[in-house]
Amino acid sequence: MGSQKRIAKELGELVQSPPDGITVELADESNLYDWKVHMEGPEGSPFEKGRFLIKLTLPTGYPFKPPSVSFATKIYHPNVTNDDKGSMCLGMLRPDEWKPSSKISAVLEFARQLLAEPMPDDAVEGRIAEQYKNDRKRYEEIARDWTRKHAT
Amino acid sequence: MSEVGDRMFCHACGGVWLRDESGLTCPHCASDFTEIIEIPPEETHDDPPELEPIDRTSPHHFNPLDPLADHNPWARPESPEERGEYGDSFFAGGGSPAYSRRLYRSPDGRFTFSSTTIGGGSSPHPGGGQPNPLVPMMVQSLDMIFQGLAETYNHQGHQGLSEDPSHMGSPGWGESHSPRASAPPGAEGLFPRDANAPQPMVPPVGNLAELLDAFRTDFGAPRRGGIRGPHVMTGPNPLAILSTLFNADHNGDAVYSQEELDRVISQLVDQNVNGTAAPPASGTAIHNLPKKKIDQQMLGTDGKAECSICMEAVDLGTEVTVLPCTHWFHFPCIEAWLSQHNTCPHCRRGIDSAGGTGAGTSENPVVIPDSPEQVAPQRRRSSVLTVRSGRSSRSAEAREPVSRRTSRSDNSHGGGGGGISGWVWSRFGGSS
Repeated sequence: MGSQKRIAKELGELVQSPPDGITVELADESNLYDWKVHMEGPEGSPFEKGRFLIKLTLPTGYPFKPPSVSFATKIYHPNVTNDDKGSMCLGMLRPDEWKPSSKISAVLEFARQLLAEPMPDDAVEGRIAEQYKNDRKRYEEIARDWTRKHAT
Repeated sequence: MSEVGDRMFCHACGGVWLRDESGLTCPHCASDFTEIIEIPPEETHDDPPELEPIDRTSPHHFNPLDPLADHNPWARPESPEERGEYGDSFFAGGGSPAYSRRLYRSPDGRFTFSSTTIGGGSSPHPGGGQPNPLVPMMVQSLDMIFQGLAETYNHQGHQGLSEDPSHMGSPGWGESHSPRASAPPGAEGLFPRDANAPQPMVPPVGNLAELLDAFRTDFGAPRRGGIRGPHVMTGPNPLAILSTLFNADHNGDAVYSQEELDRVISQLVDQNVNGTAAPPASGTAIHNLPKKKIDQQMLGTDGKAECSICMEAVDLGTEVTVLPCTHWFHFPCIEAWLSQHNTCPHCRRGIDSAGGTGAGTSENPVVIPDSPEQVAPQRRRSSVLTVRSGRSSRSAEAREPVSRRTSRSDNSHGGGGGGISGWVWSRFGGSS
């Protein structure tokens, strides 16, 4: 199908000119649908100096269906589930908001932006979101601590 | 009554025994994971004879694994006098009603259940009270219908399906059935087999839907010449109605079986994978979108352009499909998207809005996928462009069989009302 051509093209572009702090590769050279993404924590955020491994999975219906993004590295963040899945909730990846003209690079840049600026109102971890809103200092402390423990 | 006592069932070995004889602990495996199977007290009569377990007197002897294997406490009375007696004692005020009980038993004897059928008799019992005249009539008519069905079957040489209702059950389930009182004259053919004698070989029927289909197929065939007895073929076939109820033909809105419910649920789940995403566009609407060859103006300032779905570069002169919002794509690309969602992949404007006016005006509202407003543009499209949306055409298809059925019944009744009511009228209010 045409989706493989598009995926290959997007991968080529991302490898050739990667966005800031993001590198991509295939998890398995023979499978275009599973990507390994390394993302550096944005400067000025509690994730700074951290290096997070993200799994990006493309559905066979891509680009008509949205990819899914999950953190293999543990991260303390309101929008990432604190379980073994580490699913990241991205508005643009929701089925009703996904547009086939969105590129993977845009998805990844959006994900990195979310690290710098969490969206507590759209959180999957309500407790962390509460803390982010009410006790920012403590949130940043724990997030920094987790980054040091898990992402370096 | 004490003769029967409570039955016990062992959850460990599946054994069954009488509580009076072996107590609460399983006599077979000594497990105490057992259950008392309560036999509800018989309320319809206080006549002990039927409750006497036959196995005490019959040559079949007590089987420790299943003491009730040969138990038939509701054996059919032998003599007509006895029958009359039962009729009197059970229904002193009624008109010699039919009262029968079926006992179903699984092949290994582990599970049994029973069903009781009480019907009105055909003639008022002398000296009895005044029964509702409609009840016996309806019961008799139903009996006649089913007898007629059975005869139809025998005439057509269907060995597999006789009037014996036990074939409806899955093969392997034994059934003993014994009426306790005289039945209406028309129902003689419905009397059951003798459960203690060898049964004729009957090929199993897979499921109810198959069975009903088999009936229906036969009614479709014009082989009615040799049929005796009640004329059962007027009006819509009652079995067709029955099979519709059981969803043998998958087009009803209501479901009556777990299987069908599962099917409907999974269909709903499938429909909702996209959550509140925009619904698909219809094939006609997609094919009616204007096509255009790429010109210099569309290429933009840097002289390059790509289809944002496949991300392939598009050269001058390539034919593309243009949406009302002026965004354009390869036809195969946009077709694949629109067949899932009827909005532009770029700007999300609905493809059914008339081109020209900008989005957000009252003439051309922005289609927000999860807003109720969505209905309005669809309706407009169907009236102005006479293009049916995917939804309306689907529901039209779903309605079609119903209207067919209705018209068929109308024909056969000469406009005397269709459906079940018409059928009932023809059976009970008309010539019968």
